[in-house]
Amino acid sequence: MEELKGKRGIIALIALIIITIGFLSSLIKLTGRVNPGISEVYNALAYLVAPNNLATWVYDWRGFDTLLETAVIYVGGLVSALAIGRGVVQMKKCKQESPVTSKPLEFRTESLTVILKYLGIPASILLLSYGIMVVTGSSTSGGGGFQCGVIMTSGYLLAAILYGKDTPIKFGKRFIIGIGAIGLGGYALLGLPGYLVTGYWQYNIGADVWGLAPSILHIIFGDPFRLSLILKEGVFYSTPGIIPLINIAEAFNVIGAIGLIYFAFLYGWSDEGE
Amino acid sequence: MIESISNLWSIPLLVIIPMLTAIIVNFLYDKAIKPIAISSAIVILIISIISPYGYHWFCGHPALNPETLTFTFNPNIFGYKLSLEFIFGPLQHIMIFISSLILLFCVILSTIGLTKHQGPYIALLFLLFMSSAIVIMVNDLYHLWIAVEIGSLIVVGVAAASGTSISHKAALKYGLFSAISGAGLAVSLALILGLTGFANISDAIMYLKQFNIGEMSTVLYIAFGFFVLSWMYAGGLAPIHPLKSEVYGASYPHATTLLQAQSKLMLVAIGIIMLRLFGMLPFVKEVMIFLSVITMMIGVIMALIQIDFRWIIAYLIISHSGFVTLGIGLGTYEGLIGGIFQAVNDIIYMTILLLCCEALFYFGGKTSTKEAYGIAKKSPFIATATILGAIAASGIPPFNGFQSEIILIQACLKEGFPEIAVLILMVSVTTFIALLRGIYRIFLKPPELQSYDDSNVDLPKVLIIGIIIFIVLSIIIGIYPDIVLRFIIPVVKEVLSI
Repeated sequence: MEELKGKRGIIALIALIIITIGFLSSLIKLTGRVNPGISEVYNALAYLVAPNNLATWVYDWRGFDTLLETAVIYVGGLVSALAIGRGVVQMKKCKQESPVTSKPLEFRTESLTVILKYLGIPASILLLSYGIMVVTGSSTSGGGGFQCGVIMTSGYLLAAILYGKDTPIKFGKRFIIGIGAIGLGGYALLGLPGYLVTGYWQYNIGADVWGLAPSILHIIFGDPFRLSLILKEGVFYSTPGIIPLINIAEAFNVIGAIGLIYFAFLYGWSDEGE
Repeated sequence: MIESISNLWSIPLLVIIPMLTAIIVNFLYDKAIKPIAISSAIVILIISIISPYGYHWFCGHPALNPETLTFTFNPNIFGYKLSLEFIFGPLQHIMIFISSLILLFCVILSTIGLTKHQGPYIALLFLLFMSSAIVIMVNDLYHLWIAVEIGSLIVVGVAAASGTSISHKAALKYGLFSAISGAGLAVSLALILGLTGFANISDAIMYLKQFNIGEMSTVLYIAFGFFVLSWMYAGGLAPIHPLKSEVYGASYPHATTLLQAQSKLMLVAIGIIMLRLFGMLPFVKEVMIFLSVITMMIGVIMALIQIDFRWIIAYLIISHSGFVTLGIGLGTYEGLIGGIFQAVNDIIYMTILLLCCEALFYFGGKTSTKEAYGIAKKSPFIATATILGAIAASGIPPFNGFQSEIILIQACLKEGFPEIAVLILMVSVTTFIALLRGIYRIFLKPPELQSYDDSNVDLPKVLIIGIIIFIVLSIIIGIYPDIVLRFIIPVVKEVLSI
């Protein structure tokens, strides 16, 4: 924070005040006047896909946005591991300084309390199981692939912090990177069936809201996830189509990306095993 | 002519192929990277050449016609889009073609010239191309934000990949501050979304034109302020220039070719969006012109005082970004043509200089102008190519830089800014002086005897081919500018609704 002292600090403070005033005054002006715009149409049609509007918004109406959001997490993992030393490159023909790398953390697990020692493993397993439960309810609840990934990597991190190198939940480097690759690659490729059949990338052929897909594909991708909403007015059926599959892929991606960050920061990086 | 189809086949492939290639080469780490990466880059280049024009509505949702309340998949019938819209038109055609050509040379040079473990690095190059392609094709504010966000993160990775302490410092500094850029764009997007209700840029503009926003124009001004912040960070405009120039200087020159192309694409794409969204507000163009002039001046002055050839080029990239934004900021027919044309030309001649700089790594990697290395004697070709690149960058005919700079000068004079026209001339002359100083010390001055290494160096053939291709492109465009202008003029007419 040394840079923020003196003239620079004063300029930064003034800029921050101006930005804050401008932003807050805009929010005040917008209060009660927010234009719903296209969201009204989104909400009106959402029932045709998943019962949970959020899932429909994030993975269908704006499904390709979410692919790129997921890619941000993947790139975050890739760049963080690179900063630690994975994949640092040098020119063959000239001498350069040695690459900056990070050493593994020192674990002092001998001071672990009895409670942590014996409850750590069940807590980690519980977190892993909870993550799986969350992703299975992605189209009916607020949960989804991202949450699942974060919860499961939390379980991994908990075990790694408590037991250090002797952690019972061990993932190899290739395994973690492979999980991430399956996740992001899987999400991206889930757009392929819609593209081949309708020409639109990531068209949800399972839900087939606009009747563009052949009925056989609608059945293949839609029926396994068909849901029924039982009301006194009657029973209503809908299917989220490829949304549950996208969520599983996203969970894999998040586990791979965040797991890689944890792994690299905890254990440092050497090219052994890659 | 843009076809009236909303499911153009090429658009998803230009995004998904680089993404999948990045995933594969990152996983493979060392093995079989070369054939996969090079063949993917060739496929991308071919797609960028042969693709027709049109739209792609991702996830396949139609547009809602507000008058008839019917849904349509025809992009030529007005409707509020439910889908995320990408456009591949003449502007995208020329920009993505040049970026994919640079990507191809970047990937080949990486596989030839770098030590092992190239997987993550080459993955980042493909993702860098992907983010550039998205920024120039997308017609959606929310997706633009994500593309800028992912682009910033990739820039951090590319800079850090060289593994030196300088590159790490530059990367982390840029990463930290670029978070502000992404956040700024997100805030701007939130305000526009709150005001109009549409993330689709064309729909939001249509709404702003149709309805009198009256006192709510303050909200638009604040959104513009945040947009400008993001524009400055993405393109490295003053006063953010030190962050971006450090990234350019600390990365390997072949990667900088792609980084500077990404910056130019972002400057053009975000600049045009700003002009379309906020162009009707007073003082908007003045702010854009002011930032451009400051960037031009600071960049070239900083280039003059550098003692490393890489850093001279890094600051000149910044300075010439000011040319691009100046043209867009003028917002006139000639200004926009000049600005976008300058972006294309700038990418080409800076690529020549950067590839020549890459060649210096094969002569030991010394790029400081403090010592004389007599490279011209060892490689007359590289010395000649560097001089030609410097001539092109300085706006001297018959190279491409001349054509766009003369259009910009004419645009400034027409708009009543003779002083800015003079400034463009001064920046061009100073560019030549800054480059010539470096060229003389590194290439032309006889080497000091004690440090002279007389051994022959074999440069990779692909490096020489790359330099020749970009010099030829520079000369062809310089003699026959219509070859590029015919892609730019329709876009400018559309932006200005002529």
